[in-house]
Amino acid sequence: MRGILAGLVLLGIFIAIPLRSTGYLLQLGTDTLAAVAIAYGWNLIGGFAGYFSFGQVSFYGLGAYATALLVLRAHLPWYFAAPAGGLVGGCAALLLGPIMLRLRGILFALGMLGLARILAVVFNQWRYAGGSVGLSLPAVLTPVSVYIGMGLLALVAFCITAYFVHSGFGLDVMSVNEDEDAAVSVGVPTTRVKVIAFVLSGFLPAIAGGLTAWNHSYIDPTSAFDPSIDLMTVVYVMFGGIGTLWGPFIGAVVLMIAGEEFLVYFPNLELALYGIVVIATVLAFPGGLVGLANRFGWLMRPIILAPRRLPAGSAPERAEPAGTLPVLEVRDLTVRFGGLTAVDRVSLSVARGETVCIIGANGAGKTTLFNAITGVIPASSGEILYHGAPVSHLPTFRRAQRGMARSFQIPRLMRSFTVWENVVLASRHGRQSHRVVEHAAWVLHTMGLAGMWRDPVSRLTPGFQRQLEFARVLALHPELVLLDEVMAGMTRAEQEDVRRVIRRLPEFGIAGVALVEHVIAAVADLCDRMVVLDFGRKIAEGPPAAVLADPAVVRAYLGEPL
Amino acid sequence: MLALQILINGLLLGGLYILIAQSLNLIFGVMGVVNLAHGAFIVVAGLFTYWFAGRTGINPLALLPFVFVVMALVGAVLQPLLVEPLMKFGRSKAELLSLMVTFGLDYVLVELALQLWGSSFVSLPYLQSSWTLGGLAFSQALVVSGGFAAAVSALLYWWLNRTDSGKCLLAASQSETGAICCGIDVRRVRMLAFALGVALAASAGVLVIIVEALAPQTADDLTLLAFVIIALGGLGSYAGVAVAALLLGIAQSLTGYFVGGNAEYVLPYVLLILVMVVRPGRFRPV
Repeated sequence: MRGILAGLVLLGIFIAIPLRSTGYLLQLGTDTLAAVAIAYGWNLIGGFAGYFSFGQVSFYGLGAYATALLVLRAHLPWYFAAPAGGLVGGCAALLLGPIMLRLRGILFALGMLGLARILAVVFNQWRYAGGSVGLSLPAVLTPVSVYIGMGLLALVAFCITAYFVHSGFGLDVMSVNEDEDAAVSVGVPTTRVKVIAFVLSGFLPAIAGGLTAWNHSYIDPTSAFDPSIDLMTVVYVMFGGIGTLWGPFIGAVVLMIAGEEFLVYFPNLELALYGIVVIATVLAFPGGLVGLANRFGWLMRPIILAPRRLPAGSAPERAEPAGTLPVLEVRDLTVRFGGLTAVDRVSLSVARGETVCIIGANGAGKTTLFNAITGVIPASSGEILYHGAPVSHLPTFRRAQRGMARSFQIPRLMRSFTVWENVVLASRHGRQSHRVVEHAAWVLHTMGLAGMWRDPVSRLTPGFQRQLEFARVLALHPELVLLDEVMAGMTRAEQEDVRRVIRRLPEFGIAGVALVEHVIAAVADLCDRMVVLDFGRKIAEGPPAAVLADPAVVRAYLGEPL
Repeated sequence: MLALQILINGLLLGGLYILIAQSLNLIFGVMGVVNLAHGAFIVVAGLFTYWFAGRTGINPLALLPFVFVVMALVGAVLQPLLVEPLMKFGRSKAELLSLMVTFGLDYVLVELALQLWGSSFVSLPYLQSSWTLGGLAFSQALVVSGGFAAAVSALLYWWLNRTDSGKCLLAASQSETGAICCGIDVRRVRMLAFALGVALAASAGVLVIIVEALAPQTADDLTLLAFVIIALGGLGSYAGVAVAALLLGIAQSLTGYFVGGNAEYVLPYVLLILVMVVRPGRFRPV
């Protein structure tokens, strides 16, 4: 919190410097603040959510045009028109987000680049918006007023980013960047989270575009959708430090001022030099200036939602078991990939208090079955009932929120998060979301991770990482736990640790457990019932001893007896 | 007759597109890197050809081998400097970081091209007449460059599928670990792929300047064009990309004739967004 206040004061002073001056310095200040706001906007989607966009200039241009048209055609004063332009940018992002954000990585980046091109052509043709000639706006009489407007925008951008690095919502956004599938599995509604970040990151450059259009009293398609604006933005953010609170501000200010002092000597090579800066930054110090400062312990991101000292926490209240319906019931579930039937009419159920173990050789469809139950892949046919209610129509994150938790074959933790943040992320979306901190603290204590709660995940041993993944599952306060080959590749001693945790699961209020396992010996005595899959079909079911003696199972799983 | 004429022009344009797209596809397939400086390489080679052929009067096609070799060397130098160091971050992170690096490289190259050759659109006056055959007119320039491009692409396809070194490259693009286990030096293969990709892009530049006017600022349009074709044809699929290139060539020449130049220009972007909306699964590399 003190960091934020210091930041606001610093930003305020910085904004106040050119106020009394005129001409050159004021213009440089206005441009710098615009760069700061746009860089903060890009950082929200590119830095925090990890969706690099090479077309955020689309929103800048839309905001600029909306502002210009409102000023010219509706005769609105600029201080109403520019925020309205921001709303136009935000709405455009709201419409585009659900489409564009389905694409990941390179595809999103290039899709956005293409979008900016389309918009440039559209505005080139659109007579009402001035076509290729553009629009001229009335001259600005008081440049200071535009400067103040841009300063306010930069402050808003800073505050939004500060909210991202201090709030649970920010944690959700960063979890998208870390591992989107794992985020969904702990109940993060990733699509909604991404779209919100995208809308904010469209809103900020749109206002900056509007203010700039007003400031320059002129706008045309070439300047409004200038792709080099995206280059500059990316350079500022990378150089300052991507995904940080201070990076965009430091990067934009340092490079704008350095550019102003330095580029006089290279009048025509501006963009080439910026290109070199971004290459050098990525190769030599990918964390940017803030990343360098972090090495000395400066400008570190605070641990989100962390109390000063880890509270003892308390166990969630025991809910009375609701009825006698099985926790999970799968009826005739079929999953097809093209011509391949990976899961073929499998039915199974997990009753209250029961541990069911699903075994089968590699490729028997065990993990596919889990993926279909949790909704990661759609079932081709069949029904999935959770506490007697069908859940097939629910997205994965909703099933997790209702208490259907799963672990992954290889722990998929949020690697740049601390232990605390990994657990809190799940706790926020689980069935104890009304007491996030209390529950998270309790889980850490019971799982023996309290001593390292502030450590980054990358510092944990593999054993503790597995432990942390269990903690994350428990943080959802689930009723049904699906464990996917948690003992694969472990030593005997490590397996014993995991077995101990599995035995303790009922203590945590978990009504049913389903395990997928390869190592039969490690689970035979843990489960009440065993289900055997072979080539996607259920070939046996019953108490472990009986199943393992079944000749069909022996044939399928252990091989033909000689 | 007119329809046939447009169709043939489209096919020839498509032949050129195959080369433009295939070179990007090669780098993407092997390294998971979309080279955003792709169009810049095309433009630089094209403008160089314009400048050099204009000064010396040499046949631009004779420059093709020279440009190919020089740009292959440029690629072989740039790859270990700029892209290889990112590979240690793992595929998905490297993918994004390399996007940044090539984005920077794109601007460096475009800016240099602007300094050397200015910002006006230029085209090489070469083979200006047309052949007529049964009432159809074939622009000589388009026939020669489209044909050359298709031939170079076919040669690439043959090399990838029929020679040992080509198969190494194909193997590395399908599974890096698998390739390492087979004793393939993946680092060298990546360098080879990048060098070859850059050289092929540059060759495309030499052929494009004969047919179409180029300027440094068209670099990104060419990159996106190549990317759209790859996306339509399927990432990493060489046959699919060839078909998509031909279809896009035809579609563009149809829209260019019936709707107008602007529509022709936006068509690839509209297709890109359309495919994203309708078939997002298409964009996942196999």
